[in-house]
Amino acid sequence: MKKLISLLMAAFMLMSLFAGCSNKSAETNNNTQSNEPKVLRIWSFTDEVKTMAVAFQGKHPDIKVEYTMIPMTNGEYQTKIKSALQAGEGPDVIALEASFVREFIESDYLEDLSDLLPLAQQLKTYQFTIDMATHDGIVKAFSYQATPGAYFYRRSLAKKYFGTDDPEKIQEIVGDMKKFEQAAKVIKEKSKGNTYMVASIGDFTNLFFANRQQPWVVDGKLVIDPKVDELFEVAKSFRQNGYEAQANQWQEGWFAGMNDSLVDAKGNPKQVFSYILPTWGLPYVLMPNSAPKEVKVEGSDKTKTVGKNTAGDWACINGPMPYQWGGTWVAAVKGTKNLDLAKEFVKFVALDEENLKNWALGTYTNEYLKKIDPTIGDKLSQGPGDFVSSQKVVEEIASQFDNAETSKFLAGQNSYKSFAEAAPNISLKLLQGTDDAIQRALNDPLNNYAAGKATKEQALKQFKEAVKNALPELIVE
Amino acid sequence: MANTKINKNYYGYIFTAPFIIGFLLFSLYPLVYTFYLSFTNMTMMSKAYKLIGFENFKKLFDDRFFIQSLLNTWKIWLLNFIPQIGIAMLLAVWFTSTRLKIKFVGFWRTIFYLPNILMPATIAVLFFNFFSFYGPVNQAAVRLGIINDAIEYFRHSGWTVSIVAFIQWWMWFGSTLIILMAGMTSISPSFYESAMVDGANSWQMFRKITLPLLRPVLVYVLVTSLVGGMQMFDIPYMLTDGRGSPNGSIMTMNILMYMKFSSSKGHIGAAASVGVMIFIVTCLSALLIVKLLSEKDSKNNAKAVKGEVKGYELHN
Amino acid sequence: MNYTIKTKLMRVFIYIILAILFLLCVVPIWILLVNATRSTPEIQQGLSLVPSNNLFVNWKNLTNRGFNIWRGFYNSAFISVAVTVLTVYFSMMFAYAIHVYDFASKKFLYGFIILLVMVPTQVAIIGFYKYMSLLNLLNSYIPLIVPAIAAPSSIFFAIQYLESTIVKELIEAARIDGCSELTIFHKIMLPIAKPGAVTMGIFAFVGSWNNFFTPFVLISKMQKYTLPMLVQTLRGDVYRTEYGSIYLGLAVSIVPILIVYILFSRYIVNGIAMGSVKE
Repeated sequence: MKKLISLLMAAFMLMSLFAGCSNKSAETNNNTQSNEPKVLRIWSFTDEVKTMAVAFQGKHPDIKVEYTMIPMTNGEYQTKIKSALQAGEGPDVIALEASFVREFIESDYLEDLSDLLPLAQQLKTYQFTIDMATHDGIVKAFSYQATPGAYFYRRSLAKKYFGTDDPEKIQEIVGDMKKFEQAAKVIKEKSKGNTYMVASIGDFTNLFFANRQQPWVVDGKLVIDPKVDELFEVAKSFRQNGYEAQANQWQEGWFAGMNDSLVDAKGNPKQVFSYILPTWGLPYVLMPNSAPKEVKVEGSDKTKTVGKNTAGDWACINGPMPYQWGGTWVAAVKGTKNLDLAKEFVKFVALDEENLKNWALGTYTNEYLKKIDPTIGDKLSQGPGDFVSSQKVVEEIASQFDNAETSKFLAGQNSYKSFAEAAPNISLKLLQGTDDAIQRALNDPLNNYAAGKATKEQALKQFKEAVKNALPELIVE
Repeated sequence: MANTKINKNYYGYIFTAPFIIGFLLFSLYPLVYTFYLSFTNMTMMSKAYKLIGFENFKKLFDDRFFIQSLLNTWKIWLLNFIPQIGIAMLLAVWFTSTRLKIKFVGFWRTIFYLPNILMPATIAVLFFNFFSFYGPVNQAAVRLGIINDAIEYFRHSGWTVSIVAFIQWWMWFGSTLIILMAGMTSISPSFYESAMVDGANSWQMFRKITLPLLRPVLVYVLVTSLVGGMQMFDIPYMLTDGRGSPNGSIMTMNILMYMKFSSSKGHIGAAASVGVMIFIVTCLSALLIVKLLSEKDSKNNAKAVKGEVKGYELHN
Repeated sequence: MNYTIKTKLMRVFIYIILAILFLLCVVPIWILLVNATRSTPEIQQGLSLVPSNNLFVNWKNLTNRGFNIWRGFYNSAFISVAVTVLTVYFSMMFAYAIHVYDFASKKFLYGFIILLVMVPTQVAIIGFYKYMSLLNLLNSYIPLIVPAIAAPSSIFFAIQYLESTIVKELIEAARIDGCSELTIFHKIMLPIAKPGAVTMGIFAFVGSWNNFFTPFVLISKMQKYTLPMLVQTLRGDVYRTEYGSIYLGLAVSIVPILIVYILFSRYIVNGIAMGSVKE
């Protein structure tokens, strides 16, 4: 025993010695010396920008990219970024998601990138992505995506319950929220409750937020748009009538609906008719989760297949209301020592025709990236189909998607073309820095109301109090 | 000889200096600074800030959040502490009983203490997965016919509070058991023997001997558990959305503090005011418990024990 | 007769209760370890107490998600070892001073330590954060390690422990031999107090290893994340839910502590008892 303790101690001592050394060497790395490669530090919340960063390194072999990914769970990424920026220890480039991009655009932590605007004009970058990143006439970030919303449904289920899977006819059937609810009722009755219209009420909250008449905050006061009231009612109706699978977005039950592997607690199979997802929902969410999975059978070596391949059984339409959801902006942090390099990177990511094409067409395969940086692992790659922010690029490549994987997935529909029609009409004038905090505060009261645990008044009171708590400087009446 | 001794005593200051310096720098100063910050409107999004008096505290009591978080924290703590002390006491009595002669006591204790050494982060993620709507608890309960339909545990305040209290209980009952047993084994058997002669039954012995003599240990358990419980953060934070949902039911005071800290602007001043309130509430509760439960002379157990014994003998 | 039957029945009842508690403590951990070897769809199908064969795939998925578990391990180990060494050394030193020397503020200091055990420490985190931010130490491990010099509960334990182990005659004898006070502390005191030091060390280590809140507030660089911070990122992943990998990540985070526990459980269980009760 004693020997063991001393051995352990010795091992730890050695470890801490090494740790001491490595920390020191890491610190000296930051002070770039002339003979060392320049280091560009990038923070993001997914691996997408990492793909870009590797490609960027391929173009600039003399540069070393230090990439950090912090997940957005419960707003952790935002908190960490604020903390680092406040302490003056931020990276050179940060990626910002639509839900909180305004917050940072309205702060004084980002560099002015207005001098890159001519490039955006050449590429006919969608105006709304630029508006989103403009504050007091200064542009502080650029996006490589445009993210108009869409509505994806299962063709086989549409045939079964509506007698047709034709996108135009289905669009008529779910064309507004009233019709949408009616369709949900039809599906529930005809399937005896075994098929749900959507997997969770979280799926359509975005629709209502996108179609408000007023922003959340006017003159420092909280404004609750009538659309919020509508959202409450629809959510309650879906929950109480069993039109939704009670899954949570981004959790297992929600994904299980995509390959028909959803079972209720008793083991009965359940199906989900549709998902309300934007452009990126197709390549990133639906396609990767539409395949069946092999499972070992309990107590034997046999495997059984769970779920089925749903590729080719989907269709894409506009759905009940127009909306946009998500998008990633990149910005240079104020005071960075590598301003030129940071700008170079922003340019490459969002304003470089070649890169945007490569990005959209899926040039950045795992092999391609591994040639540049062998250490990236087997998962990092960018499949075709992401909808990019440059109208010029979109128009050039849209027809290339006629026979692409994404179109096969939709039984021959070229979703890229329909997105291209929707993108120029998006307006984001309503968005504000406080939206994220306010919309997150609404989540809990909305669920309480939908589940019948609170009256409308109680839920709204809860919501207002939560807003007041999150944003002390707001006037809430 | 005596001279050398006196000469060496200044070493007491030298040997305690590291602690004192460390304490002043890393505990006291941050605490004082937190008090100071609670009177400012400092945020993370801008460099300028000013003193605003009691504004932060006024806001705290304007909405129901702080009071709710205070009540939540107490509720969760009591819900786990009462069963914790109950079961630990029961097991400790059984394990130390000379009549029952329970076997493998060491093994049981080791197993019951096991949950306490696991990472709270791991436990939170684990139970989050166990109790998810499509998770194993629902599967098992429905298939065994315990419940008809799957339950959304994390959308029911009652369930969520119960799960948090259960996890806390699960993590701590083994630790409490070990402490209580140590207290019981240090009670001299002669007390029990003389009580047996007097014909006392086991319940009377427990009431009249074990409980009074355990008092200092109970105070220790109670106070340490309370101080920990008032600062509960890890489990409730990671179990739901980090804001204490559903319905704010598991929003503890520390979660509220972190919510202010990580809000859109990063309200450092407001967060500090919550910290100050937690400090005041916890210290008052702890002092109250110590005042109520311990004798004036609890510094010296031996004396206390003697006093108890005298009292016991007088009663009979 | 009656009496023994009652006792026997009581015993059966107690063993049943113990068995239930045993299952409560062990089954969740067992399920966690088993699920680490199963694939996501298998986990969705239902519970199982038998390991499957998906361990390697889960591992690949886990490490491919930017989840650098070794980095987290290393960070946590570095912090915890440093904290352990500082805690044990300085707490022993303080306790030694209380026992061996007669100096004016001794009584006050002892009472103060007892008081500090009752003071919530986490509430000063906001001031601590701001203060470290001013010193430019936010993403360094110094604020996580150095405060271990002043650990009231460890000192409390050390005072209790040294009471039974300090031999005044030995110290006197060493003084006569001309040893300096520091030498006595290092060469005579620490070796004698080794068992107590090990117990204290284990507690300091486990406490620091499992600590989530302080690093969570102070550290914002992913490379510097401690293991608990990494583990909680397993809760949500934006594009996929790989349940098998999540369980594997959880398993990896507790296995080292489980091993430490199996090896040292005697010290740990006795240590809790020692810290709370004066013999």
